[in-house]
Amino acid sequence: MGKLEGKVAAITGGTRSIGRGMAEAFLREGARVVVNGRDEAKGLQAVAEMGGGDNVAFYAGDASLQATNEGIVDFAVERFGQLDIMCLNSGGVKQTAPVSMMSDEEWKLEVDWNLNSVFWGMRKALQHMLPRGSGRILVTSSVEGKLGKPGIPGYAATKHAVNGLVKAAAQENGTSGVTINAILPGLIETDIVRETGPTSAEMMGLPSYEAMIDLFTQESAIKRCNTVEEVAAVAVMLASDAARNFTGSMFAVDGGTMPY
Amino acid sequence: MGELSGRVAAICGGTSGVGLAIAQAFANDGASLVISGRRAEKGATALAELNIGDRAHYIQGDGTDRDACEQLIAETVERFGKIDILVNCAGGSKDNAPVVDLTDEAMDFGLKVNYWSSFWTTRAALKHMIPQQYGRIIYISSVEGKVGKPGLAQYVVGKHAVNALTKTVAKEVGTLGITVNALCAGAMDTPMMQEAGPAAAESMGISYEDLLGWFAQESAIKRLVTVEDCALVASLLVSDAGAGITGSMISIDGGTAPF
Repeated sequence: MGKLEGKVAAITGGTRSIGRGMAEAFLREGARVVVNGRDEAKGLQAVAEMGGGDNVAFYAGDASLQATNEGIVDFAVERFGQLDIMCLNSGGVKQTAPVSMMSDEEWKLEVDWNLNSVFWGMRKALQHMLPRGSGRILVTSSVEGKLGKPGIPGYAATKHAVNGLVKAAAQENGTSGVTINAILPGLIETDIVRETGPTSAEMMGLPSYEAMIDLFTQESAIKRCNTVEEVAAVAVMLASDAARNFTGSMFAVDGGTMPY
Repeated sequence: MGELSGRVAAICGGTSGVGLAIAQAFANDGASLVISGRRAEKGATALAELNIGDRAHYIQGDGTDRDACEQLIAETVERFGKIDILVNCAGGSKDNAPVVDLTDEAMDFGLKVNYWSSFWTTRAALKHMIPQQYGRIIYISSVEGKVGKPGLAQYVVGKHAVNALTKTVAKEVGTLGITVNALCAGAMDTPMMQEAGPAAAESMGISYEDLLGWFAQESAIKRLVTVEDCALVASLLVSDAGAGITGSMISIDGGTAPF
């Protein structure tokens, strides 16, 4: 008997990296899962690779858009009849820069992708979950939700902001049966990090991608990156019925990086 | 075969409350256990409840006593050949009073039971964990390890100190396969609470029920958390996936602590 037997989860992102890890862990624990990504072909391929059969479905859409974060809720309910677990997971940077060089375009993208997306998806999920008196909302935040690093101001600002959103929403809905938590991973060498990392490293004033990885890992106690599996295990726990008393928490999976 | 099959855990203060709940969870996952506590009859009851025969052992010992803390580790290693997991659940307070009236004895007891106990067991356990390059250390801290409460200075200071120990040791042993975390629990209606709570409430000028109600009202969920909540996180931390979580002050408080 899996820990998520009978549950339906939706995950923004979810075709790769952390979201993919969550999706696979949820499937193993008996949940039915909707994953999301921009590219229909890649998404369908990812779903096929997961081997979840009819228990996993793909919802195409850009996770920085309101329509996607709301539409995935409707899609999950339509496909699987309900939504128990909403993972607002997608996020990142495209062309980051120090504040003095940050373009309006990038700033707005990061606010939409990392913060507004979470608000849109959370609001929609709550509207479905509150009348049912149960639900789990998990937000993939970051160690940068508590810290700041040079060269990624938009990421730090938006991740700080989603932490605030999680705390506020948790307080609003504490007795509702819906819990709302943030997971704060340290750096994980995901596909996305490998893609955007070299640019980010440059904008952070670092000589190489490897130097950026070092910067993050040396801040930690374990001196290594975290893994998708470590984050997924926490997600499973927080998504389970047993975690009904956890809400508003900032759950660090960062190998001892954050000071508080 | 559970995930903890072959693992050995020592649980200081493991005969009731949070400690026993964690012992139960670890036992279910296949671990061998040594639990300690002051009262032999509670130890016997706990062993009976665990019901895992030779895989569980009780040692009488007071968490405020250094020899007893070190003996717990020594006996764990003697009996099972090693120690993989240390959980320190010792905690409490007595003779609570606002700081202006707080006695040295009350503060000293608060530090012994909430902080020194964790230090002593940790120091002794690390001597075994470091050479084997594996260890999981979990302290039962409290929301009071992050925030203050009037009239509970010895508890607040002791739990803040445990959190400080968590952060420091995590950095010291981070690359050695050893993780160190604090579970910052909200109030639970445990035997320890029932023992220390009424007097603490009185020193705060309220009833025991009002004290529990105060804790509940501070939270988002408006109810107390449970020992099972702590066991849930403890099980995660000692699993393989727990390897990447260290130096964390994990809130188990229904949305009480602000950070």
